[in-house]
Amino acid sequence: MSAAERTQAVDGIRPRRTAGKAVVAVAVLLLLAAAPLVLGAYPVSTMTRILAFAVLVLSVDLLTGVTGLPTLGQAAYFGAGAYTAALVGIHLTSDASVQLLAGLVAGLVTAALTGWVAVRARGVVFLMLTLAIGESVHQVADTWSVVGASNGLAGMPPITLFGGPPLLAAGFVYWWVLAAAVVVFAAVALVVRSPYGRTLRGIRDNEARMRALGYRPALARYGVFCLAGAVAGTGGALWAAHARFVSPGDLGFEVAALALLSVVIGGAGSLWGPCLGAALVLLVRDNLSAAVGGHGPLVLGLVFVAVVFLLPRGVAGLAAGIRRRKEGLS
Amino acid sequence: MVTYLVGALNGLAMGSLLFAIALGLSLVFGMMDVLNLAHGAVYLVGAYVAVALAGDGASPAAFVLAVPAAAGAGAVLGGVLAGLSRATPHHLDQALLTLGVSLVVAELLSVFFGNDVHSVAAPAPVAGSVTVFGESYPVYRLLVIGFGVVLAVGVYALVERSRLGSLIRATVADRGMVSALGVHTGRVLVGVFAAGAGLAAVGGVLAGPILGAAPGLDEKVLLLALVVVVIGGLGSVRGALLGAVLIGQVQALGTTLLPEYASFLVFAAMALVLLLRPAGLLPARTAVHA
Amino acid sequence: MPVLPVDPRRLRSGTTVLALAAAAALALSGCAGSSLDQSGGGQAGDAVKIGLLVPLSGVYAPLGEDMRNGFQLYLDQHGGKLGGRTTEVVTGDEGEGPQTGVPAAQKLVTQDQATAVVGVVNSATALGLRDFFHESKKPLLVANAGADDITAARKSEYVWRTSFSNGKVGAPLGAAVAKEVEGGVYLIAADYAAGREMVAGFRRTFEAAGGKVAGEEYTPFGKTQDFQPFLSAIRGTDAKAVYAFYAGAEAVSFVKQYRQFGLADSTPLYGAGFLTEGGVLDAQGDAAAGVKTALHYSSELDTPRNKEFVDAYRKAYDEAPTVYAVQAYDSAAVLDKALADAPGGTGEEVAKALAGVGPIDSPRGRWSFDADHDAQQKYYLREVRDSGGTMVNAVVSELS
Repeated sequence: MSAAERTQAVDGIRPRRTAGKAVVAVAVLLLLAAAPLVLGAYPVSTMTRILAFAVLVLSVDLLTGVTGLPTLGQAAYFGAGAYTAALVGIHLTSDASVQLLAGLVAGLVTAALTGWVAVRARGVVFLMLTLAIGESVHQVADTWSVVGASNGLAGMPPITLFGGPPLLAAGFVYWWVLAAAVVVFAAVALVVRSPYGRTLRGIRDNEARMRALGYRPALARYGVFCLAGAVAGTGGALWAAHARFVSPGDLGFEVAALALLSVVIGGAGSLWGPCLGAALVLLVRDNLSAAVGGHGPLVLGLVFVAVVFLLPRGVAGLAAGIRRRKEGLS
Repeated sequence: MVTYLVGALNGLAMGSLLFAIALGLSLVFGMMDVLNLAHGAVYLVGAYVAVALAGDGASPAAFVLAVPAAAGAGAVLGGVLAGLSRATPHHLDQALLTLGVSLVVAELLSVFFGNDVHSVAAPAPVAGSVTVFGESYPVYRLLVIGFGVVLAVGVYALVERSRLGSLIRATVADRGMVSALGVHTGRVLVGVFAAGAGLAAVGGVLAGPILGAAPGLDEKVLLLALVVVVIGGLGSVRGALLGAVLIGQVQALGTTLLPEYASFLVFAAMALVLLLRPAGLLPARTAVHA
Repeated sequence: MPVLPVDPRRLRSGTTVLALAAAAALALSGCAGSSLDQSGGGQAGDAVKIGLLVPLSGVYAPLGEDMRNGFQLYLDQHGGKLGGRTTEVVTGDEGEGPQTGVPAAQKLVTQDQATAVVGVVNSATALGLRDFFHESKKPLLVANAGADDITAARKSEYVWRTSFSNGKVGAPLGAAVAKEVEGGVYLIAADYAAGREMVAGFRRTFEAAGGKVAGEEYTPFGKTQDFQPFLSAIRGTDAKAVYAFYAGAEAVSFVKQYRQFGLADSTPLYGAGFLTEGGVLDAQGDAAAGVKTALHYSSELDTPRNKEFVDAYRKAYDEAPTVYAVQAYDSAAVLDKALADAPGGTGEEVAKALAGVGPIDSPRGRWSFDADHDAQQKYYLREVRDSGGTMVNAVVSELS
């Protein structure tokens, strides 16, 4: 098959595939939405945590996958969002939408204040600078008594929505988090597909050329850094809505590293792959450890090694590979 | 004043250890572009070798024996890591892979040695203290400074003055070109990876009497080594030395001067250096790629 | 042929994976019921399920092991029964902090349907779980976590503590040190809530008894391996003694370096008992000789009740028990009494029964819950001494 024929074949498939995609997306959404009707409280609260964490992972993907900037600092903005939402919950209002907005703004502002340090760098240096930012913010959370220092910030009342009663049951909180996560996912997908998203991928692939074309890569990078901060902050607010408790560990190195690994496992640059990666990582960490006598890290390590050898380019890469094989056959 | 002098001396001791640990990390990154996140686990293997052979500080001979034993174990692990990480060309995949290996190694160590904190006694003849600047100071730490000096001179002679060293430097600068000249770069890479890992494991033995061995120590050491490498400049021997001495001083002298900010010092120093010199203080001289 | 409602070839395989994963997740976790109400079931009859939430992985794993052993020993000594019911223990891995501990506790209660949960090493985890247990109406027996708030500002009728609160561990030593030491005392601790609470507790009684503080410093928590700069600072003051709180690897480094840098010979070291407890003391070895600490237990306690306990523990696990083992052992004893008073076996009944368990005849001495559900107990002044080649925490006196 020549390149031209291949393009044609791909183009010919596209409308049908888009329709299929929409069907699957709706099916997945329906399944996710139906989960609380059939599942018990624990699986549902696990899924809630995964969704909130997936929002953080999306923000990492926006930087790492789309823009080519591997980061270990997003947990800081996730934490800023979570702490802000919890503070709003404790002192101002239990309305979840206000908390969400507060978390978003907190993530955005924190990222805007610290991002200018990081976006001047690339590659490993960017990674280390974001690590430095993350660790410094973590240190602040760990020692600042206003946010409970190392004991964490507890006592957040259950969330309410639009003046309704407090949402105590896991299923209702889940629906709220799901709805918000879907909106964030759609928003990120829109950004990635917009001209701005193309600019970001251009910077990732060839920064010099983009500069020659008249783009301003530094500004574009700063923009996406702030955007990613806002997304992470939103994730933090969702996390707080479910956990009703925030502790310094929520913005620690481990969370940042797991988020980055979820992106790698899922396939950097794809949006749904890293969400699956997030689910896999959290399930292994939270559910397997006691079952294997506390050797959860061992299993996690083996999963990481296996992913590299079995799924190069992540879960999304596997799917793309199957697709290519199928197209080759048709 | 005396306090600061002792602080500076102590910074040199920590810097010597950091140099031994960070050197391999730096060279491997410079040569293969591999960020070896299992480097801390290799260090921990060395520390537990010291626990197994010389944990109770019985005889100086056992401690001396632990050094080659750890070097061997580290080199084998380094060789395995080199082989594994050549399976994939993507940086993030390599990071995932080496992190996976480090989790597995650390977990196996805690299975064999338990989760308790272990300490390693300094060999009896150097276990005591001497008076330095009017304060009592452990002899063993002075010995570590001596080791650091010897190591720095030795590595400098090897890398900057020998034929093997020029091969290593050339491979850092342009692997494709060296390969085109008919040199089997694969062997150089595996060799450097193994040697660097061996050195990190030796660092684990030598740091044993100071830092002991415990689960979680691998991450702390890896983080410090990464900071050293990035500050110094990736792939550069002199950079690793400068970075190690600098971080040693920041930790010791900096903490003496500004104890309230102790936990921010290392990262603040790193951010400052990277803002002023994004490629590090002494980037590999021969590097041609950006 | 078409089994799936959609022709699979039309699907973008990626989304197929996602759909299958979602379906698999639903199928895997397929337990009955929905998550739209809040009730957890109770257990009637002659069986009871208890959740044990201790760290199996991470830096606190040694504590988790001791706690598991202590709890299990009590069960083994009582025919596997608590309150006359056959007891099934479900273990959850608390890990290093709330990120793993909170979900693990939720699983024990909502999925495994445990009647009560015992354990929790980390203070943040305990505080993060407080609302969950309070609202689920299930008792949580905190068997280690020491944050003062757990049984003070954030106390709950469902949260009971069989261990200690940080401030109360620090306090008993204050008056004794003020009497023993002529001159200023330097205070040093890891910079986190527990460190500050221990020091605050000590400082209050110490200053009330006329003691003078020569200096105070908090070291980066979990990041300090080399204490030389801090030890040098202590030497720079005219302190005649030091009060310290560290645990785990930091306790080992601190005590060893305290001797290496020559402070141990000139400046006596006092501390909270965790400074020299369990595996930490083994690693410190000779370096810890002479360190004086306050704690609510020592394996060297010379009472018949403790001797009997130590013998049984040694026989079962081939090592001396630690305070962590005793705290879990006593939690089992508390549950034993409470469950006997809770015929329906619901969380509410057990919580109510906990208020009436009365004094517990423990290896650490008799203790009981105070009005805030915290353990009201004796504290002992202990000194590290060599006992036939191993270092032990010899009991010097009882502190008031």
